Amino acid sequence: MSNNSRLAPPFGSLINRDQPINFRFEKQTYQGFDGDNIASALAANQQWLLSRSFKYHRPRGALTMAGQDANTMIQLPSDPNALADRIPLSEGLEVMGQNYSGSLNRDRGAVLGLFSRFLPVGFYYKAFFKPAGMWEKWALLIRKKAGLGTINQDYQPEYYDKQYQFYDVAVIGAGPAGLSAALEAAKSGGEVLLVDENASLGGSLNYSRLDAEGTAARELRQRLVAEVEATANITAMTSATCNAWFADNWLPIICGKRLYKVRAKQTILCVGSMEQQAVFHNNDLPGVIMSSAAQRLMHLYGVRPGKSAVVLTGNNEGYGTALDLLDAGVEVKAVIDLRHQPEYDAVAKYAVSKGLEVKTGCAVYAANKDPSGLHLGSVEVRDIIDQGVCATPESGKGEIIDCDVLCMSVGYTPTYQLICQGGGQLSYDDDSSMFTLTNCPPSCQIAGSVNSHWRLDDVVADAKRAALIATNALELTSATVPETIALSQQQSPNFGWPIFAHPKGKEFVDFDEDLQIADIINATKDGYEHIQLVKRYSTCGMGPSQGRHSALATARLVAAATNRTVAQTGVTTARPPFSAEHLAHSAGRSFYPAQRSNMHYRHLEAGAQMLQAGAWYRPAFYGSSDQRQVCINLEVTNVRHNVGLVDVSTLGGLEVRGPDAAEFLNRFYTFGFLKQPVGKARYALLTNEAGVVIDDGVACRFSEQHYYVTATTGGVGNVYQSMLKWNVQWRLDVDIANVTSAYSAVNIAGPNARKVLAKVCSDIDLDSQAFPYMGVREGSVAGIPARVIRVGFVGELGYEVHIPQHCGEALWDALIAAGAEFDIKPFGIEAQRILRLEKGHIIIGQDTDAMSNPNEVNMGWAIAKKKPFFVGGRSIQELNKTPLKRCQVGFVVNDANAPIPLESHLVLDGDRMTGRVTSCNYSPTLNKPVGLAFVEPDQAEAGSRFTIKSSGGVMVDAMVVQLPFYDPETQRQEL
Amino acid sequence: MSSTIASSALRRSQLYRRHIEMGAEFITLGDRVVVSHYGSNQEKQQAQHLGLADLSTLPRAGFKGPGTPDWALGLAMELPVQPNRATLQSDGTLVARLSQSELLLASNLDGLSQCIASATEAQLAESVYSLPRSDSHSWLVLCGSQAATTLAKVCGVDLRAHKFANGEIAQTSIAKINGVIVRNDLGETLSYCIFSDSSSVEFLWDSLLDAMAEFEGAAVGAQALRDCR
Amino acid sequence: MKLLTCPLNGQRNITEFTYGGEYHPMPDHQQATSREWAEHVFFHDNSAGVVIEWWCHSASSYWFLAERNTISDQILRTFPADEIFNQRIDFAAAPEPEPELKPKANGESQ
Repeated sequence: MSNNSRLAPPFGSLINRDQPINFRFEKQTYQGFDGDNIASALAANQQWLLSRSFKYHRPRGALTMAGQDANTMIQLPSDPNALADRIPLSEGLEVMGQNYSGSLNRDRGAVLGLFSRFLPVGFYYKAFFKPAGMWEKWALLIRKKAGLGTINQDYQPEYYDKQYQFYDVAVIGAGPAGLSAALEAAKSGGEVLLVDENASLGGSLNYSRLDAEGTAARELRQRLVAEVEATANITAMTSATCNAWFADNWLPIICGKRLYKVRAKQTILCVGSMEQQAVFHNNDLPGVIMSSAAQRLMHLYGVRPGKSAVVLTGNNEGYGTALDLLDAGVEVKAVIDLRHQPEYDAVAKYAVSKGLEVKTGCAVYAANKDPSGLHLGSVEVRDIIDQGVCATPESGKGEIIDCDVLCMSVGYTPTYQLICQGGGQLSYDDDSSMFTLTNCPPSCQIAGSVNSHWRLDDVVADAKRAALIATNALELTSATVPETIALSQQQSPNFGWPIFAHPKGKEFVDFDEDLQIADIINATKDGYEHIQLVKRYSTCGMGPSQGRHSALATARLVAAATNRTVAQTGVTTARPPFSAEHLAHSAGRSFYPAQRSNMHYRHLEAGAQMLQAGAWYRPAFYGSSDQRQVCINLEVTNVRHNVGLVDVSTLGGLEVRGPDAAEFLNRFYTFGFLKQPVGKARYALLTNEAGVVIDDGVACRFSEQHYYVTATTGGVGNVYQSMLKWNVQWRLDVDIANVTSAYSAVNIAGPNARKVLAKVCSDIDLDSQAFPYMGVREGSVAGIPARVIRVGFVGELGYEVHIPQHCGEALWDALIAAGAEFDIKPFGIEAQRILRLEKGHIIIGQDTDAMSNPNEVNMGWAIAKKKPFFVGGRSIQELNKTPLKRCQVGFVVNDANAPIPLESHLVLDGDRMTGRVTSCNYSPTLNKPVGLAFVEPDQAEAGSRFTIKSSGGVMVDAMVVQLPFYDPETQRQEL
Repeated sequence: MSSTIASSALRRSQLYRRHIEMGAEFITLGDRVVVSHYGSNQEKQQAQHLGLADLSTLPRAGFKGPGTPDWALGLAMELPVQPNRATLQSDGTLVARLSQSELLLASNLDGLSQCIASATEAQLAESVYSLPRSDSHSWLVLCGSQAATTLAKVCGVDLRAHKFANGEIAQTSIAKINGVIVRNDLGETLSYCIFSDSSSVEFLWDSLLDAMAEFEGAAVGAQALRDCR
Repeated sequence: MKLLTCPLNGQRNITEFTYGGEYHPMPDHQQATSREWAEHVFFHDNSAGVVIEWWCHSASSYWFLAERNTISDQILRTFPADEIFNQRIDFAAAPEPEPELKPKANGESQ
């Protein structure tokens, strides 16, 4: 099809007539122009039908032409539910309708409309839930019928991104108010951002008629836009949606594939208002459109909205539309004015003087289909005799006027969404049908029609006023702010009751959800009188357009049905996002920090299977993943009988230095540290104020005033912050530094550990007498300055060697080389977990939970009894007064065929849950599963038995044994 | 020859393998080895537009504690008066004051810092504690006219040149990891030093290069930075 | 996203900070009754109105205090902790420990 039906300029301001674009809709090829959106290009080709409605599969066409309704939702190859009046046309674009069976023109689902009386409001709540389990069956059918677009499961991810931006003033909306506000704010010299969701700056100046001649809007737009473009400190973003208002003016602005995280010091919301539909029989027929949609079609895209038109109006704006239609060569059959005695402005008077057929005090009572059944064919007009009531003529029918387009101009709601997200309150005056928005945050101003100003002079003055408030607040100006402009009530464009019930229904209040007048009223009859309950019960306002065109009508209907005013009824909460956004906008370019030890690549080269613990990559084990258990067991055995090497760089490291270093640790950890000798390490257990175990490590005393304290990999950040927080209060003379990343560290463990270390360490006497268990030394290993700590986490002779971070790989190489003759092998954290479990050492966070006190995990020995104070001390004293509720025990599973219990498997006493497993693993050393579990105190004696509900519900018999499982005399680690 | 020195594990950056993959040539500055350039040795233009360099192997030092300012002044160090400001010493050493009582020192682009050497050798006064900044933190430099726009993709602080003066410091979150950003222009070229956790440097390097891609940024060697000064 | 002004680092996104709980003075841990101690540890005032809270700027590990109105969620001011904690705190020696109930569990010493 061709483009030759377009209106001549100045109509069609957005399209470039020299750039035709071919695209396909429902497998038919069409042509549009550069600058068109899908809906405008289809309209230019007389294709008005765009979609089928959600519930009854009724034919639907464009309603707003502003991307604000769900009627235009279409399917793009990788994008379901795209808005045809929002997506720019592009060459070769493949567009399909959605939510139909058969074809868009002949949707078999439309038969559902015949059964609408069997689909009452609250249908889902009433049906399908009995008998139990029914919903699962119905859901499949309903979801298929009600499904919107389809997801392309072969979608290739695209690059979406985020970026911060900073402005003094952000102006949202670039209509006459936004342009004026931006210009005024920019005079202060501040940095101003001007954002509009449309392709062109100017808002309603692009399409509405301000004067009889129809030139004023265009001229004003040209002047304002030129000024904005010439102002260096205004950044204008078009086709950009500000999708929410978050605290302190944090504005997510979506433009293309980027989410701009804009932080503005002041925000001026000039977001305008949204035209509302009239509610009457068949008001959803394609061809029944907002009058602003007709104006957008003509002025922006050069598309005639029809051949013969009827204008339904409740204000003077409808007369402007009628004039535009005449200018575009559309036959205007009649202007149906809901008002009995309209007060005309200059534009309306001019329109009347052109000889238009005007019927006052009348309503469109019903719209009728044309022979295709898919478009408007005529309207039925009746006299209004009372609010929402039309006279019934003797013939039984009102006046029928043939037309293919009906333009509705009956009022607006302010675009209140962002303002209400900022805490603003929307109120409504039932007499004037005017809205007001109050209680905006101090850093957020509103101006223009969203602030209920309609006359251009008022709008501009209001915008300037808002801009001055903003720049004054930023101390960029100190201007006198003019008086608030009084609302001029005669100018209210809102007609109070454009709602006309019909015996056959189908007067749609909410197009998205196919809700009719009776549905809303019945919801109140079912007892849901609160507007929030009506919404949830009826699903009104829950569709894709989020109540933009149903909130006001619903509030009016609920108010009338419950004998309240609209002001009392209110509207439902508008939550972010303002319009649908791609998940990719939130998900795109997220950061997942990764930490790697200096030995990382040596692990990879040695065939390690890496896992991420927090942000750290750590070797789980070395070898192929299908040999997992074999590899782990070999690593364990090698440590027990020979020597192994594990990377412990991830271990937290904290320097505690100064005259009060010992005093500080004495207060912070549970143990006593004042008398700890230099050259010794001491176990450091940390409890919080409630006496719950939260971390552990060792405190190494390198001098009177210097401790090096280790902490768990995952806990060190919190331990460090907590240390600082306490010392901000205590003010001890001590310096605390987190040096975790400054050190690489390994643990060399096993009976041959000393022999290996001795080969590369000549300045530390490694003899067991000279350097006993829990000793600490400074020296050098492989020529690298090192801190060497004799600890026994895995229960063998072992040394932790801590060296400067950048030397980690060199140390690793040196120890592997020195250990070659002993057949040293690296081991991973899986083997380490088994080794420590065999030794009965707990891992904080795995074997403890948010309630574990030291007594429960057999750590009473690590609590100093006579200290003046330590964090958690008083709480532990309190806990000591009461008997234990549970305690941790070691257990073995003797049945070789039983499924090995896993963490969190339940400990049972008959039917009663008495505890849970915290660690359990097959022990290559003991040749059976061993584990730790919380049990009740009377289950804790060595030799007593309990039941674990293991995988698959299998009951496994466990026997309590004395800890540790391995080397109870602890001779191995002290070799 | 220089590549051989760089491959000695004791002296190479955690990013060494990435540098090799990108075809880096190395250069010895002082007694440290850094990337001289990648492929082309004409990277000055790239650095002026948008470049990322790894200086992690160059000397750094840190000192902290209430005695630090007086001790440092006693060593003839020039200190910024306020926290979160940095000053260049006469030998080009960057002295960043992170709080009233904490200093971070980073060497000049010749890898020679008399200031760091003398501070490291000097006796620490009472209430002065040294920090292992060469090991705890990596040191990247993001430079060029597009540097601020790039940082806006990874950092929530307004670092644009007219809002964040030369010598200003932001201790903040960069690509979700904590770090210290110091604006330290190279001659006329906008430049930011980024000091952050050494174990995260590969992540940060990758994240920054990814963010730079749309602005045609690239890794540059120390030679380009030296040419810009 | 809210902004919070750190006394050391200035105004930043609140995601740069760690919340450290409501500030209230610790009772004398030796004199307080069990009830008083339990209230200190477990009960939060959760008052409607202005409260003082601990906040820590994560990147610089700087702890400070903030006055916040919990009704309006407005942060009224932030200030360094030494405004309240301006001298060293010491604790008196503990009295002789009371004989305690032995926890009934194994592995008493390691």
